[in-house]
Amino acid sequence: MIKKDLSIDFMGVHFENPFCLSSSPVGNCYEMCAKAYDEGWGGVVFKTIGPADFEIDEVSPRFDELTKEDTPFVGFKNMEQIAEHPLEENLADLRRLKDAYPNKVLIASIMGTNEQTWEELAGMVEAAGADMIEMNLSCPQMTSHAMGSDVGTNPELCKKYCEAVKRGSKLPMMAKMTPNITDMVIPAKACMAGGADGIAAINTVKSIANVDLDRKIGLPIINGKSSISGFSGKAVKPLALRFIQQMRDAEGLENLPISGIGGIETWEDAAEFILLGSSTLQVTTAIMQYGYRIIEDLTNGLMHYMAEQGVEHLSELVGLANKNMIPAEKLDRDYKVLPYIDWDKCIGCGRCLISCFDGAHQAITWDEATRRPTVDPDRCVGCHLCKLVCPVDAISAGEVVMKAGRVGTAASKQI
Amino acid sequence: MTIEKYQQEAKGYTMTTVMAEAARCLLCHDAPCSAACPAHTDPAKFIRSVRFRNFKGAAETIRENNALGSICARVCPTEKYCELACTRTEIDCPINIGGIQRFVTDFEQNANMDILKKGPANGLNVAIIGSGPAGLQAAATLLTLGYGVDIYEKNEKAGGYLTYGIPEYRLPSDIVDVEIQRISNLGANITYNVTVGQDITMAALKADHDAVIIAAGASVAKTLPLFADNPYVQSAVDFLAEVKSNPAGVDLPTNVLVIGGGDVAMDVDTTLKLLDVKNVTDVVYEEFAEFKASDKELAGTQKQGVTIVDGYVPTAVNGNTVTFKHRQLNSELTIEADKIILAVGQQADVTNLGIELENNELTHGGFHTADPKVFVTGDLAQGDKTVVVAVQKGKQTAEEIHRVLGGQN
Repeated sequence: MIKKDLSIDFMGVHFENPFCLSSSPVGNCYEMCAKAYDEGWGGVVFKTIGPADFEIDEVSPRFDELTKEDTPFVGFKNMEQIAEHPLEENLADLRRLKDAYPNKVLIASIMGTNEQTWEELAGMVEAAGADMIEMNLSCPQMTSHAMGSDVGTNPELCKKYCEAVKRGSKLPMMAKMTPNITDMVIPAKACMAGGADGIAAINTVKSIANVDLDRKIGLPIINGKSSISGFSGKAVKPLALRFIQQMRDAEGLENLPISGIGGIETWEDAAEFILLGSSTLQVTTAIMQYGYRIIEDLTNGLMHYMAEQGVEHLSELVGLANKNMIPAEKLDRDYKVLPYIDWDKCIGCGRCLISCFDGAHQAITWDEATRRPTVDPDRCVGCHLCKLVCPVDAISAGEVVMKAGRVGTAASKQI
Repeated sequence: MTIEKYQQEAKGYTMTTVMAEAARCLLCHDAPCSAACPAHTDPAKFIRSVRFRNFKGAAETIRENNALGSICARVCPTEKYCELACTRTEIDCPINIGGIQRFVTDFEQNANMDILKKGPANGLNVAIIGSGPAGLQAAATLLTLGYGVDIYEKNEKAGGYLTYGIPEYRLPSDIVDVEIQRISNLGANITYNVTVGQDITMAALKADHDAVIIAAGASVAKTLPLFADNPYVQSAVDFLAEVKSNPAGVDLPTNVLVIGGGDVAMDVDTTLKLLDVKNVTDVVYEEFAEFKASDKELAGTQKQGVTIVDGYVPTAVNGNTVTFKHRQLNSELTIEADKIILAVGQQADVTNLGIELENNELTHGGFHTADPKVFVTGDLAQGDKTVVVAVQKGKQTAEEIHRVLGGQN
């Protein structure tokens, strides 16, 4: 079995591998975190610890899922708030974890209600043995509007609370961002200005996943009502990657240390987050669906990817894709790539024909007798919708054609 | 003997598994499956409805095209029709179209849907002799077109081979009863225990109706001269009817010899095994390469552990001992059995119905007889003798009558 060094340094802390539980139901107590460490996770962000006087009272049921055909968990909606155990119990769990797993990274997620409690909590988790602090500025389903994503969308509060945490503790600290905002760069910069050492992104997206059609109530139903709450899982991955790219692209944040979060299920997802600038990665939804054991394929798959890329240290991959994302107005619009249809692979379903007519540019014709499609190169704009809908990968990128009157050669294009 | 296995239908899809199967469908542009369905049940359309979670719409598509949708879902040899045409086969294996159809028609029943509606009465009446699949479909189509329909059934229950032949594990009686009830609710007037030509004359039917459809099927067992008056012998149709009516009351020995290789023979074989008969040996005239039974039926029978010997023809019978010779090879086979079941085909009985048949069907295509008022459908018309083709013929016969009679007052 392949063996590669997956270790990475993030905000001055050494991780044996970049994979961490994110602050959520999957890291709610000592036993859970211990099991995750045992199965190979590099770090744990213990479920967010709040002030002693903030009581957590959860609803039942509290989850919902988005499905597609027979695929469960395309997306996941969660109404749980922060850790429901008493503060002392959480701190005791942190202590036990650090004692039992001194070489694993223990990150305390905290959420205060004002500057004083943020500062106090920071001091307490440091004293309990945490290696790092994550500030939860982003939970979208808190029962208090002085907490969670209502804070994360307010840059002044973000900065003030970061300063408070830094006063309370010397530990490296990252601020966890809410995606329920147009421009994440603003709160990220505010947090960095307030002393944050890095950013965790993204928390969940405010959502209603489904509505019960008979009862006319969103799901899950709690005594006849429901509430907007955070959405996560595979469906939010594109949003997470976009926010991470935008932060890394912002002036002054080019080397922003990021812990990437949002729909990571496979090593490929993980590699995408790394290439767009994440040094560590956090996972919840996939664990809720499949368990901690997914770490085996995350780590092994990532090792094989490193080997394929000829990379010895994971840090060499961080941010390599950032420079290849550019504004739309700077993209080369001088050519089109015609699709190539392999008639030997084609099974004649005609899905390309339907999608090209109904969703693109009516460039495919159909031979009813042979059940084979043909592309009209003049009508075709090279959008490749046909390639995406083909169920047997019979359509690939074919001839590159320069648009009329454009300078340059087709051969020079990196398609 | 236990009858649970005989009465147990295979598990159907759940909401989740049917979505998985529908998601496998490529939703082809030209839908070869739909083009291949004799009854025009339009699988491409109802599978697409399932894919987009419109289960009621899927049920409408099936029911409006096929009044016996739940029955066809279970007994249609789909591998010869829609599934043979399925494009998905080029990737792995065809969509289980029958299975999806069964899910949708079960959904229809659970949702108490009432899809077919009686057409505005046009004052015309049609008599139908026989209530097998062709007669039932003809009745449903005529009723939706506004005709009055009287069905004459010689048995005490409607359905013909659906009720008296196809075993319970393959087609539960409850399903057949519900399908017949739908057509009854649509306005079909069914008279039971009446044999036309015996209890009531054709002339009387013709006098009271604007058209008469003979849908009597081929319900009488053929036999072989070698087995005449043999006390060990029972016909397949009689055996299946006996089991279907009272499975617990059938007394079966340890060794049964079946002769025949069509779907009926396979039904007999499997039924015997499911009723715990230890040794079931089926000797078949055809060799496997030319087998008449559907692949699905043959595979099911073999899975039950029936010994099937192909290519042999019976040459001598001495009580319960039968000697066979191979049709090509110099080979002889003698089997002693406690019971012998003959599944060598059925024939029609059209006594006093005023029509001429050759090889149990009309000598010409279509549904007309020499009498302009009398039509023939189902097994008695030319074409395949499967349930789905019976549905097709029933529909076409009704449409032909509508064309001829004009459907107007």
